[in-house]
Amino acid sequence: MKRRAFLKQSAFASSLFFVPGFLKAFENVSPKSFGYKRLVMIQLAGGNDGLNTIVPFTNDDYYKSRPKIALQKNDLIPVSDSLGFHSSLLPLKNLYDQGNLTVINNVGYPNPDRSHFRATDIWQTASNSNQYWQTGWVGRYLDAHGSNAYNAIEIDDSLSLLLKGENINGIATQNPSNLFKLSQDPYFKNVLNHYNDEHLSEHNLGYLYKTMIDAKSSSKYIFEKNKIASNNTTYPNNQFANQLKTTAKLINSGLETRVFFSSLGGFDTHANQLNSQKRLLDIYATSIEAFVNDLKKQGTFNDTLIVTFSEFGRRVKENAGNGTDHGAASNVFIIGNQLKKQGFYNDLASLSDLDSNGDLKYTVDFRTIYDSILKNWLAVNDEQILQHKFNSLDFI
Amino acid sequence: MKTKQLQHLFLRAGFGITPQLVNDLSKKNKNKVVDFLFSTTTFQPLEIDLSELSIYTQEYQKNNTFSMEFQRKSNEKIREYNKIWIERLADSDSLLREKMTLFWANHFVCKNQNIYFVQQYNNCLRKNALGNFGDFVKEISKEPAMLNYLNSRQNRKKQPNENFARELMELFTLGVGNYSENDVRESARAFTGYNHTFNGEFVIGKYHHDEALKTFFEETGNFTGDDVIDIILKQEQCARFICEKIYRYFVNDHVNEKHVDELTTVFYKDYNIEKLMKFLFLKDWFYDVENIGTKIKSPIELLVGMQKMVPFSFQNTKDVQKIQRLLGQVLLDPPNVAGWKGGKNWIDSNTIILRLKLPSILLSNAEISIREKGAFEDSFEKYHASNKIQKNFAKVTVDWDFFEESFKNISFDEMKSLFLITAPNEGTETYLSHLSKSSKKEFCIQLMSLPEYQIC
Repeated sequence: MKRRAFLKQSAFASSLFFVPGFLKAFENVSPKSFGYKRLVMIQLAGGNDGLNTIVPFTNDDYYKSRPKIALQKNDLIPVSDSLGFHSSLLPLKNLYDQGNLTVINNVGYPNPDRSHFRATDIWQTASNSNQYWQTGWVGRYLDAHGSNAYNAIEIDDSLSLLLKGENINGIATQNPSNLFKLSQDPYFKNVLNHYNDEHLSEHNLGYLYKTMIDAKSSSKYIFEKNKIASNNTTYPNNQFANQLKTTAKLINSGLETRVFFSSLGGFDTHANQLNSQKRLLDIYATSIEAFVNDLKKQGTFNDTLIVTFSEFGRRVKENAGNGTDHGAASNVFIIGNQLKKQGFYNDLASLSDLDSNGDLKYTVDFRTIYDSILKNWLAVNDEQILQHKFNSLDFI
Repeated sequence: MKTKQLQHLFLRAGFGITPQLVNDLSKKNKNKVVDFLFSTTTFQPLEIDLSELSIYTQEYQKNNTFSMEFQRKSNEKIREYNKIWIERLADSDSLLREKMTLFWANHFVCKNQNIYFVQQYNNCLRKNALGNFGDFVKEISKEPAMLNYLNSRQNRKKQPNENFARELMELFTLGVGNYSENDVRESARAFTGYNHTFNGEFVIGKYHHDEALKTFFEETGNFTGDDVIDIILKQEQCARFICEKIYRYFVNDHVNEKHVDELTTVFYKDYNIEKLMKFLFLKDWFYDVENIGTKIKSPIELLVGMQKMVPFSFQNTKDVQKIQRLLGQVLLDPPNVAGWKGGKNWIDSNTIILRLKLPSILLSNAEISIREKGAFEDSFEKYHASNKIQKNFAKVTVDWDFFEESFKNISFDEMKSLFLITAPNEGTETYLSHLSKSSKKEFCIQLMSLPEYQIC
């Protein structure tokens, strides 16, 4: 694997990605061959209530804290003698049974922030809670190992911090055909064809031209790959399923994309949580099921790792509106076919020993998960990208 | 003053310059032009009609349903306020004051969901934009929006919350590394008890205020929040920190230490923002070639700059919101207390495509002519005909008459120079010269659709 870290230090660093992608070997492994590892990050935005997702149905504290919204044992899909999946998560239970799911409990970080925006930034940048970083950890991965915007794709209309690097950014596209059309205006084509790049400049104007050239070719590349690929599964009819459908198409097309990112919103359940969470988890689980099947049928599941997180969990104690308020640590789902530790990675933290806000205390720092993924899945220098040394976990 | 210098000054101190103003000012020397800039800076508060919210009294909002209803309406009003702020930027005569307001909004970064507090805060920025920096910081520390945003209301004698004290020094006055953790702890105690009434009036809760001695920057006393700010102002680093930020915003992303030293010397004397800005705009180095046409426009500078040349207005509030969101800068909704980073950070694959396509989407039905000299028809009609999504992107009313009138006596070459502060790329220049220049409207869209137009 090539490391470009030393090049970053040089004066030419930011012009590096201006070199056309085909001149640079992004990786030694061709995306069509086996072993081209991909990562799909999914955010359950709004703060999913982890405790009502995987339920400790023998825990008295759980029932005491949630007289109105606790889920009863017979409404759950039991997976161990103390934990049960939410009834909407049958597809996930199947993955669990097949050894394709690892659940990591109590994931968080020191001094958790309870604002959606800040907490999302922290999860996406991998910063400490008192740091304001302007690059995402996937963006920094691109800085070190990417060559084109399409190396990391967000299925959305605008780009999240997660995919923004110092010198290279990923690209966002909800609909590859619309993005393609927008970028292929004949006027742009003419301007860029005339553009004289003899003096590859570090200046802002040069940067604008180069970004546009890359955007135009990236959106064309994505569009064309997307056009020839197809889905082998029927997906549920909702926006999140559509995002995963597009992701599967792009993965199966052999696109040179390492990281995909999608999110499913609406988890901010301050009031009347039971119905809305049930509906959302159903959307999540049935879409994931279709996605995994699609990848399996086309032989790409083995090299795809799907990680689902939420910016925070929710308060252990229910509120007056039959909902829950912003909390802290929660669970992370890892789905894949090469999991070392299947099922539950660790035990659920105590519900009687909570932090001063009445939230779960974290036992696993979320950055140790990123660290493991970078080191063991994407096989790159984890410390350089996370800008800090973390201990890897042993789930992959 | 030379046209390029005028353009430069007005791009940085405002959002660009119209041909009329170039004409009026080009006969004047630098001093006269800068005088003109400072003669049009009256403070006019930006206000929105909130009468329909007056029923939500304190008593009324104790009811959960009504409080949620208020929240919903307040958010709606904030979006409207965002829209009229952008309109204000485009038509105000108080160019510099409005530009400074925008600058300070990304310095004293704050966000709130109560429209009354949002409006009060916004006008606090506007009122103090060219005033005394010390008074400014003191007022900011007492604004209800800020008291909420940085948890001053939770800062109590028994359980201090250091959020405001830390950001005050790290982001608002001194910069990271120029104070100790002990300074943070001690100054947080001076701000304990800060609070506001339901109507937004500042109060100090005397049971929550810590009256005991505090030691801050080697001074010991029974300090209040204002005292702490006065001690901060005594540090020259405070003047330097602000001057460097002003330099990055108004002059160049890359700092020239010598120039910042000059600014600091002026500013440290009395923290008078107006004097500082006047000094800056009169400096020869402000007009150096290396400082002209080197910055990337923020999304708001881009949007407002277009409106300066071709006045247009959005029919729907949600369209303005959508465009700001897609471009990565929604006014009144900063990403975090550090604000927008600016510069190259505005640009990614998605924003660059939209930035280049935006002028045609808003002003010409998503079409950019590619007619060349001698050609009679647009051979890309098919491409344009199929772009329904782009054509329905936003509903806009465009005042082309104003444009036609103001560019009536301007040649195509002069137009190019007025729209683009920087010389176009060689190849682009060649391409432009081949275009059939039969319509100024078309040429205007063509110029605005270039990467060069993103520069100010």
